Amino acid sequence: MKTLFALLFTTLTAAADPATDLAARLNSLQQDGTSFIRVKMEIQQTTLQVQIKQRRIPGATEVVYQILWPKERAGEAVLLRKTANQAASGALFMPPGTVTKLDSSRMKEPLFGSALCYADILENFFAWEHHAIVGTEMLDRASCQILESKPGKGDRSIYASVRTWVDTRRLVPLRVEKYFASGKLARRIETTRVVTNDGHATPANLTVHDAARNSSTDIDGSNIKRGVVFDDATFTAEGLRQTAAPRAKAD
Amino acid sequence: MSFFTIIIRGLWRRPVRTGLTLLGIAIGIAAVVALVGISRGFEKSWGAGAKQRGIDVVVSTLNSGLTPKPFSTTVRDRVAAIPDVGATCSVFVDLTSVESASMIMVSAREWGGFSWGNLKLVAGRMPKDAMEPAVVLGQSAAESLKKKIGDPLQLESKELTVVGIVDGGALVENGSVVLSLPLFQEITGNQGRINILDVRAAHEMNEAEMRKLCDRINSAVPEAKAAIASEHISNSEASRFIRAMSWGTSLLAVLVGVLGVMNTMLMTVFERRQEMCILLAIGWKRGRITRMILWESAVLGLLGGSLGVLIGVFGAKILQRLPAVNGLLEPDLSPQLLAISVAISVVVGVFSGLYPAWRSSRLSPSLALQG
Repeated sequence: MKTLFALLFTTLTAAADPATDLAARLNSLQQDGTSFIRVKMEIQQTTLQVQIKQRRIPGATEVVYQILWPKERAGEAVLLRKTANQAASGALFMPPGTVTKLDSSRMKEPLFGSALCYADILENFFAWEHHAIVGTEMLDRASCQILESKPGKGDRSIYASVRTWVDTRRLVPLRVEKYFASGKLARRIETTRVVTNDGHATPANLTVHDAARNSSTDIDGSNIKRGVVFDDATFTAEGLRQTAAPRAKAD
Repeated sequence: MSFFTIIIRGLWRRPVRTGLTLLGIAIGIAAVVALVGISRGFEKSWGAGAKQRGIDVVVSTLNSGLTPKPFSTTVRDRVAAIPDVGATCSVFVDLTSVESASMIMVSAREWGGFSWGNLKLVAGRMPKDAMEPAVVLGQSAAESLKKKIGDPLQLESKELTVVGIVDGGALVENGSVVLSLPLFQEITGNQGRINILDVRAAHEMNEAEMRKLCDRINSAVPEAKAAIASEHISNSEASRFIRAMSWGTSLLAVLVGVLGVMNTMLMTVFERRQEMCILLAIGWKRGRITRMILWESAVLGLLGGSLGVLIGVFGAKILQRLPAVNGLLEPDLSPQLLAISVAISVVVGVFSGLYPAWRSSRLSPSLALQG
């Protein structure tokens, strides 16, 4: 009975807290099931065409990034996965057939040499334990609330805190700043284009700045297909060799 | 000294101020010419593309996006069964990033369908069969992708070969990567899906008959919408949004021009108060003074508008050559648009001069004696 009251109390206070509520809404948007995305990444004068296969459901995230172009890097792929509060893991595939395991200690490494690291792809800081609204600001003529998220005891992250400028009207992050425990800025991610599909706003173009390496990456979203059907092998080391697009769900 | 000499001298009295005012109006009118020209060009080039393919009716789900949402290929069979439908051709159109290009039109067409008919080979050949891993490129697509016959082209996860360069007769066609529909469906995992159905009527039809045909198609396929080919793009939400944005931005710029002219003409009235009073004292009627101010502001509008048209045409040509839109947009700088722009500028000039003219008409000849 005592536990039930405690649970009820926690739920009620959480629902009443606007920061937790905002984080919960963004969290549910992040966990949008399966999707297949193609992006163009501009990494210091180099262009990559990359396809992303992902399955994000409550408590589990599995992501595959595969380079399609240029030819000399085609086939390079990375698989990342994280379940609930378990440590992140994954695999790196280099054609023609080298597979290297990735453990949680390697999550700081850059993705395909970009300003993003593996942890940026995998971590969903909206699911962390602590959230607070620390201010408001206008960004690109959009009124934003600044949401500060900090990992709880059970949350594993390379970051100590993340600040997100959330356009509250469209419920879309327009800027994300990630900080190390030292308080130093690690990465800044700016949304430079937002598209609306079926009434949902989605960041389409991003600019990522890695403060430590002083490098930037532009990511331009080209296509997104939601609700696609992946086969069982997609999110395995073996699946990294397969670059074929998944079939769209039947109409 | 004639009436018009007085008007020109009035404007020439402060050349820098007049020049800056002209520039203010010119920028507003340049915005009208460039933005409206580009939005019209967008619609016109799609219309020209449809005309080149000999399409009467387009069936699609075009809404707020730049490309329509996919629907089942069974739509084709249901449309083909409607009386008065002569031929159909299934198409999947995607606006996507290809290799290093940010945005290229990829047009996948039913193998053997009539929408291939307008493509004239400039070099190379057409694909041999529906599943040959090959594409043909429109001339401007080949330029922007820097491709020639025999080069590889990476489309999604598949490497295809450029086997031909074609002239599609319209900007949209020439800016496209064209391939067979079954191949594209396999590459993108869109088996059994298309997003456009091109329809040819069985016989010559007038507009009313064409609309009736659209109604019949709409009844048969509620998941998509049929529109007369020439109206297909202009009726879309995206097109309406682009049009509203271009006119909205232009009118804001014109409003700034209005305020600039009004300010200049008000200053003129204040500075030339004594001159106007003397003109009244020597027998000029108040109406003539009012007309003089209105003519001055109209001349400002005319000159600013003409300059604005030149800047706008030049600006639109530069925008057209930007890598992001190269081969996708061709501004429609018709004489009609240029004439409307100059007319807007003259009307803006006259409108801006109304208040200063009214102020000038209230001057009294006796004020001339006060110095």
